[in-house]
Amino acid sequence: MSNVTSDTCALPPAAPNPVLLVLTALAAGAIVGLPLVSVQPNRIMPGEGLTLWALGGPMALTGALMVLAGLTWLAWRPTRRALSAALTLVGLCLALLPWALVVVAAAQIEPGMSSARIGLGAGLWALLFLLLLMLLELINRLALSPLLRWGLLLGLGLSLLLALTGGGLDGLALMREYHGRRAAFHAALRYHLLLVSAVVGISLLLAAGLALAMRRWSGLRRGTFSVLSVLQTIPSLALFGLLLAPLAYLAVRFTWLGDLGVRGIGWAPALIALVAYSLLPMTRNAFVALDEVAADVTDAARGMGMSPAQVFWQVRLPLALPVMLEGIRITAVQAIGLAAVAALIGAGGLGTFIFQGLGQAAMDLVLLGALPIILIALLVDGLFSALAEQLRRAQGRGETAHA
Amino acid sequence: MPDQSGAAPALIELDAVTKRFGDATAVDAISLAIPRGELCVLVGTSGCGKSTTLRMINRLIEHSSGQIRIDGQQIRDVDEQRLRRRIGYAIQSTGLFPHWTVARNIGLVPRLLRWPAARIAARVSELLALLGLDEDEFAGKYPHQLSGGQAQRVGVARALAADPEILLMDEPFGALDPITRESLQDELLRLQARLHKTIVFVTHDMDEALKLADRLVVMDTGRIVQQGSAAALLQAPANAFVESLLGGRDRGLKHAALTRVAERMRPLTDAQAGGPAVDTLGVSADDSLRQALSLMLWHGVDSLLVSDTQGQVVGSLSLQDAVVERNTRA
Ligand SMILES: Nc1ncnc2c1ncn2[C@@H]1O[C@H](COP(=O)(O)OP(=O)(O)OP(=O)(O)O)[C@@H](O)[C@H]1O
Ligand SMILES: [Mg+2]
Repeated sequence: MSNVTSDTCALPPAAPNPVLLVLTALAAGAIVGLPLVSVQPNRIMPGEGLTLWALGGPMALTGALMVLAGLTWLAWRPTRRALSAALTLVGLCLALLPWALVVVAAAQIEPGMSSARIGLGAGLWALLFLLLLMLLELINRLALSPLLRWGLLLGLGLSLLLALTGGGLDGLALMREYHGRRAAFHAALRYHLLLVSAVVGISLLLAAGLALAMRRWSGLRRGTFSVLSVLQTIPSLALFGLLLAPLAYLAVRFTWLGDLGVRGIGWAPALIALVAYSLLPMTRNAFVALDEVAADVTDAARGMGMSPAQVFWQVRLPLALPVMLEGIRITAVQAIGLAAVAALIGAGGLGTFIFQGLGQAAMDLVLLGALPIILIALLVDGLFSALAEQLRRAQGRGETAHA
Repeated sequence: MPDQSGAAPALIELDAVTKRFGDATAVDAISLAIPRGELCVLVGTSGCGKSTTLRMINRLIEHSSGQIRIDGQQIRDVDEQRLRRRIGYAIQSTGLFPHWTVARNIGLVPRLLRWPAARIAARVSELLALLGLDEDEFAGKYPHQLSGGQAQRVGVARALAADPEILLMDEPFGALDPITRESLQDELLRLQARLHKTIVFVTHDMDEALKLADRLVVMDTGRIVQQGSAAALLQAPANAFVESLLGGRDRGLKHAALTRVAERMRPLTDAQAGGPAVDTLGVSADDSLRQALSLMLWHGVDSLLVSDTQGQVVGSLSLQDAVVERNTRA
């Protein structure tokens, strides 16, 4: 690792990084032209948008623009050292963003105004989005090891969590919605995670079984993949609808199923539909992963006197695992999103807030459902990517450039 | 059929062994007896059944009919995993496990045989040294960090790990450049002189076959056409196929490659001997006749001085000596 770093430093200075330059320019535009927050007297009344100029005057605006100018300068000659500095800067900006909001909230909401709230404006969302893109670009350019990447994300998450729990952000509209339905939120979160875990677990077991069966009986392959692909194309609401009648019938016919909570609506159809959607990516990856293990390696394994079980557990499965993890990652991320839709058929979960919010035209309630879903999806995505990469490295198969 | 000549029975015996894949016959009633300590090379055109023959010996492919015996015992009667752990196996693509280090790859069969860890570690060190791989540098590497030649050495080390009596090698050096290939062939001969394994070796490369073989087995469309020592086959090929496989009109040179200069040179009289071979064109007594002929051709001379390993002149070789074998067999 260390000599790779020094090699990179010895290279002549690279050309300007266009991605970073464009992103910083856009961020400057967002800061100058767009309202960062809006202050609403209560839940219903529309708020008044405030730009950085309006919030902090020339001092704040100049400070922010100077940071962006610094980033531009670093992106102009992106040596490894410059990029590391840029990463530190972007990381700090992201970590400080919630605390800036704390300051704004304290200044804009006088104590006692319990129904006044601060909405997040277009400028702030844009800024957050652009900073995250910069972070991503820098992480990729610097080829950060999974460990460093996770340390970085953990730091950012911690900063956000501290700001949220400290009470300084209670004036945010989002937090007002949260405090209004705290118990429901936690229940929904738990439920969402439970549903997704069940979906991933069940489809993993089914997919493993299917993949093994397809390897054993090659005639099964075409039929299985056709069926799974067709399942994949049914719109989710239609699939819920299709499950309604049969499940309702089963629940009436077999009372023990009804006692378990199986009905035409609720968790049962949601679980079945989500598993159905998950089966294709999961099975495809499991099958391809197991099938792609080089024939000469398994041939040698048998030739050395390994039993079929030893060949499977010590050779085929470990070599297939990174690709199988990829399947789990895709499935999990997909299920996290789809589980939101399942709220429509009374399956509960974070989707409940999204649909309630849409019904009441309360965008912050929508956000209360949507933001955690996005965060969880990103987290799971990153976790499994890192896991697969770590595994490849542990198996000595990481890309040699980073090894 | 057990050997009836009274000599020690062969270690590996194939008796009218046939392999059919569906309707196609890949190996057709071949019989072959390979004595202990012999390096037997199977040659033949692509698809003639060499690999199939080899893989039947360790039951990676089950033979359709006939008998295969090892040490007098039918391999059908032996548990296939136990059989394979007693037989080293090396293949062209090495088949090293990409997720295991070199050391772990080499220790595979000993681990399957449940050797204690310390004994495995000692054996791995020993094998790395035997194959000329520096332990500190290579033990912890992964296969993708090795060159083709290094990977093949590891493959051979893995095949040798549990000290099997028999070694099956399917074009092990086939994917290497000529120079690496030659050095690994020399290595194999050196190992074989020390270890006396019974080796069945498949190759496409006729020079490799002639160089390595104690016994050369020529196969064509699933049958054995001729077998014998390399020199015997070169001298009397059974038919046109064997003749063309052995190099056709290049046969003379191939045969010369098998003969050492020492066998044809005229030793110097004591009075002449002993001088250092400076400034004079010379060959070593251990060089092949082919190398000597090449030197003569290149330099346009018709005789060479012959020196021993210490560089002392021990004889001379004329073109006449090289081309015509003298009746007085020295
Ligand atoms: N598993 C199999 N199923 C069907 N046919 C096979 C199988 N394995 C080998 N064959 C056929 O048996 C014949 C002999 O194959 P084999 O691999 O022994 O040839 P080979 O002499 O090793 O050739 P090469 O030098 O190209 O490796 C070929 O015609 C091949 O197509
Ligand atoms: Mg072959």
